[in-house]
Amino acid sequence: MKFSPLPVEGELGAMSCIGGELIVYSHPQPSIIARMKDVIKLGKFEFKSRLLVGTGKFSDVATMLSAVKAAGTQLVTVALRRFNREQKSDDLLGPLLKLKSIKLIPNTSGAINAKEAVRAAMLGRELSGSQFVKLEIHPNPHHLMPDPIETYGAAKILVKEGFIVLPYMPADPVLAKRLEDIGCAAVMPLGSAIGSGHGLATREMLRLIIENSNVPVIVDAGLRSPSEAAAAMEIGCDAVLINSALAAAEKPAEMAAAFALAVRAGRKARLAGLMEKSDVAVASSPLTSFLAGKK
Amino acid sequence: MKKNNPEWLGPDKWLQLSNNADETRVKAALSTVSPGIKEFAALVSPAAANLVEQLAQRAQVLTRKHFGRTISLYVPLYLSNFCSGGCVYCGFSSDRRQPRRKLGTEELKAEISALKRKGFEDVLLLTGERTPAADFNYLVKSVKTAAEVFHNVTVEAFAMTSEEYEKLAGAGCTGITIYQETYDRKLYSKLHRWGEKRNYDFRLEAPARALQAGMRNVGIGVLLGLHDPRSDAICLFQHVVQLRKKFWKAGVLVSFPRICAQYGDFKPGYEVDDRLLAQFIFAFRICFPDMPLVLSTRERAEFRDGIAGIGVSRMSAASRTTVGGYYHEARLRKDATPGHAGLRKEVTARSAGNLEKGQFDVNDTRDAKTFCSAMRRRGLEPVFKNWESVFRGR
Repeated sequence: MKFSPLPVEGELGAMSCIGGELIVYSHPQPSIIARMKDVIKLGKFEFKSRLLVGTGKFSDVATMLSAVKAAGTQLVTVALRRFNREQKSDDLLGPLLKLKSIKLIPNTSGAINAKEAVRAAMLGRELSGSQFVKLEIHPNPHHLMPDPIETYGAAKILVKEGFIVLPYMPADPVLAKRLEDIGCAAVMPLGSAIGSGHGLATREMLRLIIENSNVPVIVDAGLRSPSEAAAAMEIGCDAVLINSALAAAEKPAEMAAAFALAVRAGRKARLAGLMEKSDVAVASSPLTSFLAGKK
Repeated sequence: MKKNNPEWLGPDKWLQLSNNADETRVKAALSTVSPGIKEFAALVSPAAANLVEQLAQRAQVLTRKHFGRTISLYVPLYLSNFCSGGCVYCGFSSDRRQPRRKLGTEELKAEISALKRKGFEDVLLLTGERTPAADFNYLVKSVKTAAEVFHNVTVEAFAMTSEEYEKLAGAGCTGITIYQETYDRKLYSKLHRWGEKRNYDFRLEAPARALQAGMRNVGIGVLLGLHDPRSDAICLFQHVVQLRKKFWKAGVLVSFPRICAQYGDFKPGYEVDDRLLAQFIFAFRICFPDMPLVLSTRERAEFRDGIAGIGVSRMSAASRTTVGGYYHEARLRKDATPGHAGLRKEVTARSAGNLEKGQFDVNDTRDAKTFCSAMRRRGLEPVFKNWESVFRGR
C-alpha cells in the first residue's frame, strides 16, 4: 500500500512534498532512475517521505497541522496522553485523523514500564485505528531516556499482538539487533536526548546500527537543525523523526519545509555515494612507483 | 527534635556564597553547561537582581526546548477545611473561627462534574491536617471517586506514613504535593504551633516516603516570605537534587507559593516581590531545564501571564480555595437572572473566592476560558490532558 504526499502550498512546501521520491528532477542520473522506487518499508506499508513528524509541544493545533503539511510527511506520531475524547479543543487525535494522506503512529509516551506501554498501545490502536505504535518507555520523566529492558519486553508482546512496532531506543547496536530479531518493523535510536537539540551525539553508535540493520533505522530525538537531519541521512539512516525542532522554531511550518529539503538532500547524497574522506593529501608521485615493473 | 538539618540540605555554605556573589559570578553561572548548587547560589543572589532579564532569556530558551510552547493545566479541589494544624499563617488553622465543612459523597461528585464540564483532566485534591472528619480513609475514598473521572489525580494533604502512601497510590493517586514551608528548623517550630505537622523531619522525609511507596511524582516547595527566601531556595534546591538522585524514576516538581493576605493577621517576616519571585523561578529553570515548575492562582493575572512559558510550565486555573466552591458557583450562575442583583453580587463575591474564606485568596480570578485565551495570545497552548488513566491500570 502506498501513500501519496500531501498537497502543499507555497514554494518551499511544493519542494518538500516530493518527500523521498527521486524521479522528478530534470536531469536524472541513470543509476538513480534504476532505483526509482526509493521507498521506506515499514511492515507491509511503503512510504516515499523519509521525514516523520511528532505533534507535541506546538503552540496550537493549527500551527502543528501546518508543520505536518509543510513537512510533506506521511507518518505522524501522536501521544495517547494527548488524545482527549471529551474536549475537542484539547484533542490532537481528531484533527490528525482528518488528514487522509498520513498514517498515524500513536505513541506510548508517559508509560514507565512495559505493562503500561502495552496497555497504552492497545488503547491507542482502538482509538486511532492504526496498527502502528511508536513504543516509548521512559521511566525518568526528566531526561526521558528510553528504558532498554522494558522496551524489549513490551516490543515482544506488541509484535505478537500484531502491531507494527517502532521502538524508540538508546543508540545501542546490540539492542537494535535484539529488537530486529523479535520482529520490530524498524528501530528508532536517539540522536541525543529528547528536546536537547544536541544533534547526532550518538553518531558512531548510529553507524554501527546502520551497518548491521536489516530493518529501517529512523533517528528519533535530539535533532535541532536541518543540516543534522541531512547528516543523519548521509550516514545511512532511512528516515528521521522531528518534533521539538519544529515546535520550538520561530516559524514551525517553514522549519518543517526546511527539514523536508534537508532529508531529501541527505538521502540523495547517500544514494549518490559520498567521496571518501582522507586525512592526507594523495601525492601526485606515488611513493610506491619503485615497485612498478620489478619482480 | 534534631537540632540541625542534615548536611546535604544546607544551607549555610551556599547562602554565604550567594550573599557574596558578584555579577561576574552570575554571568559565569549563566554560561555554565550543567549548573549545580554553586551556580544556583549565584543565580538567586542579590547580585543577580540586576541581571534578571538575562536570566529570563536563558530560562525561556530552556523552557521552550523541554516543554515546547505549552502550559499544562491542573485545578485544585478542596475536599475539606477541617484542620487539626496550628500553622500561624494559614486560613485553615484550627484556631481560626470559621465554618468547617467537608464534601460528602454526592457533593464531591457535583464538584467533580463542575470541574469536568470546564474541561479539567488533572486535579489536585486538598485537605487540612488530619482530623476525624477528614481522615486518611476519607481521602482514599475521595481519590477513588476522582480517579473514576479524571485522568490524573494528585493529593496535597498531611504528611503520611509509607503504608498510607502506598494505599493512596493504589487508589489512583499519581503524586503528592507537600511543602516544607520553611527549611529553617527554629522558625518551623515557631510557626507550626501544635499537631503532627510540628514534626519537621517527618514532613521533610514525606516526599521520599511517597516515592518509595510508588507515587510517580512529588511536588515540593517553600512558602516564600516566611524565612530568608535565599536560604529556603537553596535548601529546596538541595532537596530536589537529593530526591532525583535517590529516586531515579521519580518526577519532581517545584511550586512557588508566596504568602499573601490570609484569614487572620499574620505578617510575613520577609518580603518577596515580583522581581525576586521571578528571579527564583528563572534560577530553578536554568538549573533544572527539564523539571516542571508550577505557579498557582495566588499570583496576579499579569504576573502569571508574563512568566508562563518563560520559566513556569504548569499552572492551576479557575481555582476556588473554598470547599464546594465549583458547584456552588455553577448553581449560582444558573440561578442568577439579569434582574437578580443580590445573587449576581454573590456570584461575583464567590468568583473572587471572598465569601467563605478559602485557604488563601485567589488573585487570578479568571475563568478557564479567559485564562486559556490569555495563554493562546501569548503563543502558548494550554494542555488539559497530559496523562492517560490507562497507565494506572486498575
